[in-house]
Amino acid sequence: MDVDPRQWENIDVNDKDIHNIVLSYLVHNCFKDTMESFVSCAGIEQPADHLEDMEKRKRIFHSALDGDALKAIELTEEFTPDLLENNKDLHFDLLSLHFAKLICLRKCTEALGFAQLKLTPFGTMQKYVEKIEDFMSLLAYEEPEKSPMFHLLSLEYRQRVADNLNREILAHANLPRYSAAERLIQQATVVRQSLNQEFGKDGNQLFSLKDFLER
Amino acid sequence: MGGVEDDGPPSKRVKVSSGALGGLSKGTSHREQASCSLSDLMAQPLASQGKDEVVGSKGVVKKVELVRIIAEALYSLGYKNTGAHLEEESGITLQSSVVNLFMQQILDGKWDDSVATLHKIGLMDEAIIKLASFVILEQKFFELLDGEKVMDALKTLRTEIAPLCINNDRVRELSSYIVFPSQNVLDISSDKEARLKSRKKLLEELQKLLPSTVIIPERRLVHLVEQALDLQRDACRFHNSSVGEMSLFTDHQCGKDKIPSQTLQILKEHSDEVWFLQFSHNGKYLASSSSDCLVIIWEVKLDGRVSLKHRLPGHQKPVSYISWSPDDAQLLTCGVEEAMRRWDVTSGECLYIYEKSGLGFISCGWAPDGKRIFSGVTDKSISMWDLDGREVECWKGQRTTRISDLGITRDGKQLITVCKETTILLFGWESQSEKLIEEGQNIVSFALSEDSKFLLVSLLNQEIHLWNIEGAIKLVAKFKGHKHSRFVLKSCFGGLDQAFIASGSEDSQVYIWHRISGELVFTLSGHSGAVNCVSWNPTNPHMLASASDDHTIRIWGINRVSLDHDDRHSNGIHYCNGGT
Repeated sequence: MDVDPRQWENIDVNDKDIHNIVLSYLVHNCFKDTMESFVSCAGIEQPADHLEDMEKRKRIFHSALDGDALKAIELTEEFTPDLLENNKDLHFDLLSLHFAKLICLRKCTEALGFAQLKLTPFGTMQKYVEKIEDFMSLLAYEEPEKSPMFHLLSLEYRQRVADNLNREILAHANLPRYSAAERLIQQATVVRQSLNQEFGKDGNQLFSLKDFLER
Repeated sequence: MGGVEDDGPPSKRVKVSSGALGGLSKGTSHREQASCSLSDLMAQPLASQGKDEVVGSKGVVKKVELVRIIAEALYSLGYKNTGAHLEEESGITLQSSVVNLFMQQILDGKWDDSVATLHKIGLMDEAIIKLASFVILEQKFFELLDGEKVMDALKTLRTEIAPLCINNDRVRELSSYIVFPSQNVLDISSDKEARLKSRKKLLEELQKLLPSTVIIPERRLVHLVEQALDLQRDACRFHNSSVGEMSLFTDHQCGKDKIPSQTLQILKEHSDEVWFLQFSHNGKYLASSSSDCLVIIWEVKLDGRVSLKHRLPGHQKPVSYISWSPDDAQLLTCGVEEAMRRWDVTSGECLYIYEKSGLGFISCGWAPDGKRIFSGVTDKSISMWDLDGREVECWKGQRTTRISDLGITRDGKQLITVCKETTILLFGWESQSEKLIEEGQNIVSFALSEDSKFLLVSLLNQEIHLWNIEGAIKLVAKFKGHKHSRFVLKSCFGGLDQAFIASGSEDSQVYIWHRISGELVFTLSGHSGAVNCVSWNPTNPHMLASASDDHTIRIWGINRVSLDHDDRHSNGIHYCNGGT
């Protein structure tokens, strides 16, 4: 049955699907308490095995987000021993977070020592050399927040690294890297663009998430 | 001395006193008066020093500058005492004392002091001071790193270099040197000599950064003299000999005698119009082709005489173009819209015949690696072949017309053909890039200079145009004077450093121009028919060959002082009929 894209408002939606979408989002982001409460309210089955893991993942994620990279690494090693070994990029990013923290705390000597010990071994591969140089250049400035590489000290950067770490841990446990909600929004964006191109002015009934949320 | 003005230029002063000098030579009693006034004059310069005083008849040479570069030259040559004496006597110092202090501080490695002194020099704007400070502090940084004082180096970087807020990319590089020391280009060991050398290099760099009035460039006087010599050489319209050094005592000017202008030999082997000839790269052979469908390889003997080496029969049509392989071991010949043949030069054997069914070849040329051959074809395409006869590639489209010239640049990357009657195509065959040269008149032929930077284009409106094809294409010069309105004539570069242009002409003469000045230097007569092609021996700037409709080839050279027995009888002209 081919549905006219303009009649999207009339499609049936299964409640169970929506429950799963919400669950997937909550699990992905380690909202354990919310998940438990949602499960009991909605009267659905709790995904049994993931509770304890969620707690651990949550701690790892928050350590990374706070810039406490060494702790994040320690916990990750404990939880999934060979993850960082098989994921050099991620390992490097986490170590660089620690370096960034030392820089922010103006502990330059310590930062230099840490870099020489932990970061330079990555220098055998060309793709890391440039990244190392980016970080090293932070050392040259007395106010690194005003230097050309200031974004390496930002919350956004830490967020990105923490997200990556989270996704890799999920993947390692054979869980999806991206929550259903994320994928849906990505898909909806693409579909909207494509429909806009196809139907142009006709499509003013197209769904806009942005508008919907702003109401 | 009455009438002499103290602040007039020195030359005026001397002139006025010439009357007194005249008195000197006549040995009259004026003498004492004259010498007294002369020494008075001599003693005066110190007092009446003006910053803008000039020397020389043109009034463009500032005296202060001249004295300073002479002083610098004296010091460069090692004559320290004389240099110091000159500074004293003239009252003009080579460098101000501040600058001297600055330079000494650099050599001593007193970085912070030198940066401070830098600010005291004056005559500079902020930007230059910053650049110079940056460079000095870089040296400080590297010397600290070398001495394993990493934290000090880091401190310099953070507190002195980065705050200058210039060249962030370099700051980034410097910070990476802290962890990746092997990249350190300076590589100064704790060896004192190496350190001094590196500091001297820094001084050189600073001298380039700072305005030239602050630090005089080293050996500036010698540089100026060399410039003058270069100009003289370029202006010398007949310069065709590397023998004879240039003297500083007189302006350089060659006589006409070093340009080939005498017929030394007439080669009569062909039985019809000779259309094309070219010397091999090593200048040991000459290849010629004629409308009698024959190609001949001649040998240039050690004494300069040209004799027949091989006759190469086989073509069914006249050969319009010949190309020597880069190693001169093989010859490529192309019949007009016929086949292309590859010959072995030593044996005279035909090694391969290239044919393309239903089509004929127009032009041919070797790739610089000697492993591939390019050719223009009658269907306007260009093909590339390997030595075994396989067509490796073919570029279709309007790439070439019926004109037989094909040029390949030295790097092998560009092919040059005439793609339309008035347009030349520079075709980058790998990159598929195309550059065009548009002429307003019909193009007949072209020649590529040895360095592949210039193209000489012969046109039917009696002009030869010289184009610069390196980078942006530009018309550089035009050569006129010869007759060219009907036939296919070819011109060439030649002489020492390819300083000359030669061309045939419909009035049976060979024309030679001086490339830089564009001046017509020689017209050589002797042929009795249109001169179709000329070739200048690449390794002997005194030998030129010309091919003519009168069935002969003439070898031109310079007047030889000693002629042997035969020459005296035949007026110094050798006739060569394929054997002695």
